[in-house]
Amino acid sequence: MIQVNNVTKKFGDFAALDGLNMHVERGAIYGLVGPNGAGKSTIIRHLCGVYKQDAGEITIDGKPVYENTELKKIFTVIPDDIFYFTQANTMDMMKFYKDMYPKFDEVLFKKIMDCFPAINPKKMVRTLSKGMQKQVAFMLSIAARPELMILDEPVDGLDPVMRRQIWSLIMSDVSENGLTVLVSSHNLRELEDVCDHVGIMNNGKILIERSLDELQTSITKIQIAFDGDMPALPPEIEVLKKITNGRVHTLIVKGEPRAAERAIGALNPLLMDVLPLTLEEIFIYELGGENYAVKDIIF
Amino acid sequence: MQSKTSFFNMALFKKNLSRTWIVGLLYFIALLLMLPISFVLTMADFDNSWYVESGYTRAIMLYQHMQYVPKAGLALTVAIVATGITFWFLFNKRDNYMMHAFPVSRKSLFFTGFTTASLVSLVPLVLNSIVMTIVAFVEKAQAIDAIWYWTLIVAVATELFISIAVFSMMTSGQIITSVVFYFIFCYLYTLMEVAFRITASFLMFGMSSSMSDLNTTMLTPAFFISANCGINAVVDTDDYGKLIGFSYELTGAKYLAIYAVAAVVITFIAYMLYKYKKLETVHDFIAVPFLKPVFTVGMSFFISMVAGGFVAEMINAAKTLTYSAKFAIAIVAAIIIGCILFYATQMMIEKTVRVFSAKKFFYCAGYSAAALVVLLCLRFDAFNVENKVPNANDVEWVGFSCDYTMVFTDEDEIGTMIELHKNFLEDKKELRDVNVLYSDVPGNSFTIKYKLKNGKTIIRDYSVVDTESEEVSAQYVAATEPILDFVNSPIQIKEHIIGNIYNDCTITEMSFSGYLYDESLEDYYSTYVDFDYLTDREKKEKFERVYEALLKDVDDGKVFTTSFGTDYYNNEDKLYNDFSFTIQNKKTPYFSDTDFFWGYEYANSYVRYEQSIYVQLSRDCTNTLQALKEEGFYTDDEEILTYGEYNQRMGYDYY
Repeated sequence: MIQVNNVTKKFGDFAALDGLNMHVERGAIYGLVGPNGAGKSTIIRHLCGVYKQDAGEITIDGKPVYENTELKKIFTVIPDDIFYFTQANTMDMMKFYKDMYPKFDEVLFKKIMDCFPAINPKKMVRTLSKGMQKQVAFMLSIAARPELMILDEPVDGLDPVMRRQIWSLIMSDVSENGLTVLVSSHNLRELEDVCDHVGIMNNGKILIERSLDELQTSITKIQIAFDGDMPALPPEIEVLKKITNGRVHTLIVKGEPRAAERAIGALNPLLMDVLPLTLEEIFIYELGGENYAVKDIIF
Repeated sequence: MQSKTSFFNMALFKKNLSRTWIVGLLYFIALLLMLPISFVLTMADFDNSWYVESGYTRAIMLYQHMQYVPKAGLALTVAIVATGITFWFLFNKRDNYMMHAFPVSRKSLFFTGFTTASLVSLVPLVLNSIVMTIVAFVEKAQAIDAIWYWTLIVAVATELFISIAVFSMMTSGQIITSVVFYFIFCYLYTLMEVAFRITASFLMFGMSSSMSDLNTTMLTPAFFISANCGINAVVDTDDYGKLIGFSYELTGAKYLAIYAVAAVVITFIAYMLYKYKKLETVHDFIAVPFLKPVFTVGMSFFISMVAGGFVAEMINAAKTLTYSAKFAIAIVAAIIIGCILFYATQMMIEKTVRVFSAKKFFYCAGYSAAALVVLLCLRFDAFNVENKVPNANDVEWVGFSCDYTMVFTDEDEIGTMIELHKNFLEDKKELRDVNVLYSDVPGNSFTIKYKLKNGKTIIRDYSVVDTESEEVSAQYVAATEPILDFVNSPIQIKEHIIGNIYNDCTITEMSFSGYLYDESLEDYYSTYVDFDYLTDREKKEKFERVYEALLKDVDDGKVFTTSFGTDYYNNEDKLYNDFSFTIQNKKTPYFSDTDFFWGYEYANSYVRYEQSIYVQLSRDCTNTLQALKEEGFYTDDEEILTYGEYNQRMGYDYY
């Protein structure tokens, strides 16, 4: 759905995007992760058609997005700092979105509103709390029936219950309507439970872009103990990291978990456990050898 | 619902209106107060007023009312307010990014915004004019053309100013800067002209009054529309204010057409700037790259030029400088101040203090060279400003003002004055340094003012010193003396100082005060004879005899003479006694050279047939003094005293 090819953007002498490539499939929930200043908001502004790239190509559904009004009707954006018209209440904003987005579903909007009883629709949105403003933004965005939703730090300022509620709304839209979601965050943990694809950004580039399945089958964490010293591992096992604690060895090995389990099992260990890796750990071990400050990105 | 045309977006329009309607309402109220309400109040009890007695009609009252209602000022204000609120989203990152992320094109955003600003400004105007038309009908004031012509002027001015406002909004990423730019663009030409004129007035020979003949041009619409487009109602009255004629014209239609076209062009340019505007320039001082060097150099150049001239003038005030020394100081000061301004402006634009690069230094050096060239051009009068003397054919009248003021409208006299001026300028090198070369010689200054047939004026002021001093050179005398010879000729004095009716007039009043010293009071008291015991005819004859004697003194060059050595107010040889008279010709209007020269002829547009004249006598006015004594205005010679004698007796160092 989204194709970003070799995009460059400079602000003066500073390259905010430096040959960035990114690909988001239709129906995916794509998490864009990176530290502050990595260029996440910049690429999102390009995807929204706000900025024009200096070089490269950005397309959504195969069409360039910049100044493409028709294309913009199929996606909505929720930025970190949300814009509402002065004096406008929720209903005013609903009318505005209804006029802007041809597929806006007023019935759906009212249905979603029922999920957020704390929001007074007659109250000026700008006077609501930051969390409530975010909720209004989600209500409006979802009711616009977009094919793509672009979210920049979307759940910042929301309490855990509200986060879950919002994500469940989005997930149901994804499953029912095939919504594509691009969500940026500086915290990988936040995206772990919801994303099926992840891209890590730093210094204006995507360092790694994978599906979650791919990632989870590419690295395995195995805890083993032997009666005596650990024998030499078979050559097909590529150990990324090894930690020894007494007779217990923790290995991070590259490759499919069952194949690794079979190969190491052949060495007759006293104990062998294949443990799940968190997304954070996967990225640390994937990128650890590439001199990137991965820990800074993830934690 | 979106409009089918991509130029307009209804949702956006409704949102814009929801934020700007208050501006329209306030504007409408202001217009109501200025037009219909004000007119209704003026017309209250009109039938019993002085106006009816004087022959004014209700229509005339309305024409006059519409003549004075502001035009450009209103448009200038409402345009920037309405446009600023409409395009507010351009100056806030959050609003800017979100508005451009919505499915709406820049074309729609621009033209919907422009339409909103226009409607918010124009609808109150039109509604108000409809109300005013109804009021005019109710008041039976049939001057509907004036109401709607005024509306047209304000409407065109509003569109023009909205276009300039939108252009300004596109040139900066900051709202305050945009508003400042708006006013700079609206007055750009005048600001540049003022900068040049101030500098010229500080530095150039004869240009100290250059600010006073500032003309309005089409490039400064705020001034030009007010001055040249409107309802020109001309009311002729007699001496008693009775209406003797009325005419009006609706002026400036062709200018409005030009401004309307200009508004379209500027709007299009503004749209193109917006179309290609990089939205990351929000909060930038200047959002358009090519304007950055223009702004930097422009600011540095004009401000430093004025500041350089000011520094030179200040030093000159402390210690009189030669013309060249003054220029040298101005050049050095302008370049130093200009370089500081150049880098300060760069810091403002780049939002960093790290602006000292080889590239910037190169630009700064280029700017300094340009400033140097311009100031040297002024120094050597490359633009022929100092030497400019108009052709006689182009001159409507020429005025001369020193101790007395004269205005010459006759072709020959205009030609003579032009020749005298040219002759004076031939010795410019010495003349511009008279205050340094002849610092001990008493001095004065004179003004030559040309009113050209195209409506413009040229004013030159010159410092001069006493031509009779032994210190001055023969060259100096040759340059200045002919002017004195001309203005001191008896015929010019009679014609221009006493007035055009000097030889065909009646002296209706005359007064002379003698002064005697009272030892007990230790002060002088005045003696005054009013001749109440005489009939009007006897008094008139008495006055005429004194007047004849005064004319003889004029012929002898004893009174009303101009000197470059002493000024009118600082001559201890002049008499302390007051002498004045009134001349009258009931058939021929009196032409006041002084009023004409200083531009008061419009303020006193009614025709007058008499004029009071004050005469500064001296002891040399023997004919006048003798006649005054013979006619009984004073009896004792002791009643005559000079300022010098008065000051000495009273113990004053000066009066």
